[in-house]
Parts: sequence; C-alpha cells; structure tokens
Amino acid sequence: MKKIIPLLLIAGLALAGCGKSPDASAGAAKKLTIALLPKAKGNAYFISCRSGADKAAADLGVDLIFDGPTDTDPAKQNEIVDNWTNLGVDVIAAACENKEALSTALRKAQAKGIKVITYDADAQPDARSFFVNQATPEGIGSTLMDEAARLCDKSGEYAIITATLTAANQNEWKKYIDERNATYPDMKLVAFRPCDDDKDKAQAEATALLSTYPNLKLIMAICSPGVPGAAEAVKQAGKIGKVKVMGLGLPNENKSYVHAGVTDSVILWNTEDLGYLTVQASVALVKGTLKPGDKSFTAGKLGTFEIRGDNILLGKPFIFNKDNIDQFNF
Amino acid sequence: MTRAPSQAPGWKSVVFRHETVLLAVLAAEWCYFNAVGARFGTLDNTYDIVRHSVEIGLLALVMTPVILTGGIDLSVGSLLGLCAILFGKLWRDAGMSPAAAAACTVGIGALAGGLNATLITELRLPPLIVTLGTYSLFRGLAEAITHGSDTFTNFPSSFLFLGQERWLGLPAQAPVFIAVAVAVWLLVHRTTFGRSFRTIGFSPEGARYAGIPVERRLALAYVLAGTVSAIAAIIYTARLGQARADAGTGYELFAITAVVLGGTSIFGGVGSVHGTLLGIAAIAVLDNGLVHARQPREAAGVLTGLLLLLALTSSVAPKLWAARRRKRPAPAAPSPLPSPQSKAP
Repeated sequence: MKKIIPLLLIAGLALAGCGKSPDASAGAAKKLTIALLPKAKGNAYFISCRSGADKAAADLGVDLIFDGPTDTDPAKQNEIVDNWTNLGVDVIAAACENKEALSTALRKAQAKGIKVITYDADAQPDARSFFVNQATPEGIGSTLMDEAARLCDKSGEYAIITATLTAANQNEWKKYIDERNATYPDMKLVAFRPCDDDKDKAQAEATALLSTYPNLKLIMAICSPGVPGAAEAVKQAGKIGKVKVMGLGLPNENKSYVHAGVTDSVILWNTEDLGYLTVQASVALVKGTLKPGDKSFTAGKLGTFEIRGDNILLGKPFIFNKDNIDQFNF
Repeated sequence: MTRAPSQAPGWKSVVFRHETVLLAVLAAEWCYFNAVGARFGTLDNTYDIVRHSVEIGLLALVMTPVILTGGIDLSVGSLLGLCAILFGKLWRDAGMSPAAAAACTVGIGALAGGLNATLITELRLPPLIVTLGTYSLFRGLAEAITHGSDTFTNFPSSFLFLGQERWLGLPAQAPVFIAVAVAVWLLVHRTTFGRSFRTIGFSPEGARYAGIPVERRLALAYVLAGTVSAIAAIIYTARLGQARADAGTGYELFAITAVVLGGTSIFGGVGSVHGTLLGIAAIAVLDNGLVHARQPREAAGVLTGLLLLLALTSSVAPKLWAARRRKRPAPAAPSPLPSPQSKAP
C-alpha cells in the first residue's frame, strides 16, 4: 500500500504534463523551424542577437528555437545540435564555441538534410553552407581609423592599446589601421602598447602614455577591456576632452564613460542586425533563394548584403556614441 | 543514525521500492515524450541519448562503490579533463598511436585514483576534502599543460569511430559502457568486495573489527574511479573529436546526482548499481526529451532537481511515517489515512 503513494504522485505528475501536450507540436508542423544556437544562453551579446532573430522570425512567419548551453560544459553545444537533428528542424544556425568539435555534429545534421549556417563564430567550411560574418578585419581596421581621424580633425598624435603584441586578431586589425592611416598623412601613431586584455593594466599603460606624450590627442583601444581602462586613466588625469578615447568594445562597460564625455565612440557591430540577418539567410537557404555562388543577399528591411565566397558580410561595424548607446544592452 | 531492522521494512525492500518508483518515472517520461515529440522514439534519437550519457554514466557507475563506502569523489570530472588533455598530448606530441595513448591514459587515471586513495587511507583525511583538493589540482594541471588555450583535434577517423559511429548496430561506445556496468555490478553485488563496501559505509570501525581490510577496499574504490574516469575521457574525446582543458566540467555533480537518484544513500551502506543505471537513464531521457517537447534547457535543471527531491522523499516518507505512528500512543487516534497493517500490539 505504501508503495502506491509515490507511484500515484508520479502518475499524477506525468498526467499533468500530458494535458498540455497535443497542440504544441500540431501547429508547428507546417511552419519552418529555425534553431539558433548561441555560445552561451545567458550572454547578453547573444540575447541581443536573439531579439533581432525574433524580429526576423516574426517578419517571415517561421518558428525560432533559441537554445544554448547554460553551463560551461564544452560538449553541450554538440548535444543540443544532435537533439535538433533528431527533432528534425529545418535550419540550424550556430555560433561555434569549439570549431572542430561542433563541426562534427553539424556535418551529421547536414547528412540528415538539415541546412546549416554559422554566425558570429564559424565552423569548418564543409560543415555549413554559409557563415554570416559580422565583421571583416578590413572593416574593423578602416572604421577604427576613420573614426579616430574624424575625432582628431585628421591631424595629431595618437596611441593604440592592444591586447598582447602577439594577438592574431589585433595584429590583423592593426595591419588595416596602418593601411588606412596612409590616407591621413597628418595622423601620427606614436605608441602601440599591450595591456594583456586587462583593464587595470590598460589604465596603467594609458596613464604612462599621457605623461610620456604631452601632445597626445587620442587613445584607441583595440581590445574590449582597453577602452574603459584608457577612459579611467584620462578621467583620473583630468584630461577629459583634451585626450579623446575610442575603441573596440561592448556598450555596457563603456556607457558611463560615454555619458561622462570621456569616451567618444565605441565600435562593434550591431548584434541585433546580426541575429536578423542570420535568420533571414537561414530561411532563404531553405526556400532556395540563397544559393552557393550568390554574390549578394537581400535581407528584408535591412537591405542588401555582400557575399564574399561563402561569407555573408554584415558590413561596416557599428559606432556606439552618446546618442545611441542606451538602446543597447550587452 | 542507527538503522534498526525492527518493524521498518528491511533495506532490500526499500531499495526494491525505490527502483520500482524510478522505473515508473522512466516509463512515464518515455511515454510522455514519445507522445509529444514525433521523433523522440526513433532509433537515432535513442542512440543519441546513449551517446550523450555514456561518459557521465561511467562516472556514476564507479561513483556508486565510492558512495557505498560512505565516501565521495569530487575529482572525477576534473580527472576526465586532465586525462583528455594527456591523451591528446601523448597522441599528438609524443607521437603515440591512439591505442597506445589510450592505454597510457588509463594508467594515468589509475595513478590519479591512487593519489586520492593514498591521501584518504594513509593520512585518514575525509574523502570530501581530499577530492575537493584533487578536483582543483587535476583541472589546474589540465589548464596549465594547455595554457588554457591549446586544443587537440584532427584525430584519425579510426579513433573517432569509438565516439561517433556504430558497431554491431549499437553506438560504438555502448559495449564499453555495458562491459564496465557488468563488471561494477558483479563487483558490488556478487563479490565479498561489494559486501565490504557496504559494511564500511555502515561503520568503518565496525568493519575494521570484523577483520575487513578497510584501507585496501577503500583504495580499490578510488583507483577504480580514477581508471574509469580515464576511459570516460577517451570516449569523450572520440565523441567530440576534441580534447580541451574544460572537458567534463561539472560531470562529478551529474554523476553524484545519478547515484543518489538511483537510491544509494549519501551516508553509505545502502544502494545498488542497477539503481544508478536507472538514475542515469531517468536524467538522460529527461534531458533529451525536453528538447523534443520544445522546452528550454533550463527546464532540465529544474525537473532533475525536482525528480531527485521527489525520489528521496518517496523513499524516506514511509519510514518516517511508520516511525511517527510508532511514537504515538497506539490505541488513541484512529489514523485518518487508511492503515492496512496495524502495527499496534
């Protein structure tokens, strides 16, 4: 008799679950289902991508599943993709935390006839049809330099704070910054200093730069902790307005400095647009309006995007400043 | 805690009841998800459930004897990470064949388990503290060896077969899991070792007086945990095609959850390997099925927690109930609930 009580509890629980089951799958059968995989579910960057993706899904009348790891287990992304493969979604759009590992699962999905697209962080080329590339090194480098020149009225001394002297991404961007710098003959780079991707170190470096180069007009930080670090140094040195701060970073950690007038511009891409474009491209891929070899792609209200090889380019980076930074939360 | 075998049901029937409940839960999960998700019951999906749960399953299997002795091993997840890295290192940098590298890795796992065992038995330190230390140590070593960034990939397809392909119609890693499961089941339920694990869990001092070589039995449990963690690391690497320092993060807690859900007492002395197997299955099916029910992943955490609490409650509630009724003056109150076997004298 005593055995029955827990059994009843379980049965009750199972029945309670059964009640709401039928309509969940019935309506979804006809609509396309796009599964969007972030690197981490709670990451504000991807939540912002999702809000763009939701808009695109609503515009196109498709179902969007947004799910991703909630812990740091590197196997989780693979398991989610495997589950989606068995579930039979139409497209999987993934931001890969582990390129090689996730490619295995994505190839399996492709073998089952599911279309695969990547965004934000690419998989191996044979594991997906297209990569929605949020920013080319060329775009980042030239936007940074153009913005720096604009802030300095195209003349003056500036310094760059980078992550480490060996960081591959940063050095790639630096190459394009230098290339672009050639078109501004009066802009002079006086220092290129590493901050080890650390805010405190960036602040110390910036403080040293301020005393070493009295004519310095601008500090450009090309790693995300560098921007608030440099801003803090300028603020503490009382040189707000005399030395401008700008760089590549996330809106949230720079908001207070932007509003205080220390930092003028924060450069990144528009994450909502990234999510929107990814879902648009996913749907077009299933419908056959986006094919390998295409040179451009029109994504609804966002307009037309260039395709280079199998990369759909989101285009020029986005500049966050006093006027628009409060609209973004990541 | 005294466990008087008096009128309370013997531990055998408690275990039996717990496992029956678990089996019912598993069946309910399966039926529900099968009704909701059109492709839940397919062979492909069933095999994926197996693939995804083999590593945690292996850890849970060897965690069972450890917990039966009243101990715990928090280091298995970190050891999985360390072994995955060392396997990658031996294969890529030392130029070993995957088979040779795997053999060495298993040896290293046994040594790491031996380190836990030595600290616990020689220094008489609590297993919780020792393995909390090695939990950090093993993960730290894995991160130090790779500087947190080195990743091992591009393994030969003959090796990836173990994690990704089918063998004799089954996921290739399933036979390994079955072999380990049978071995651990025999060890715990059909040998004197198993009986001594339980005896130690009830009372280490009592076991010592009874002439059981407590230290050697404890050492066996922890070395086994280390060895099988290394096997899990190899399967994990083959499944993902990648070895990184963060492999297996948090797996120790999943393994402990499966063991406890399976009815093994965290205080030791009581439990079974088949209970653990059911515990693993209940968690794995829930985790997978929620995707087919189109529920977000967070739901898996919540429901696993509820399931665990429910299972624990259902196994202790009858005992508490009986104990309370015994305390009450027998003839006084007619129980409001049906009481078939009156225990009043």
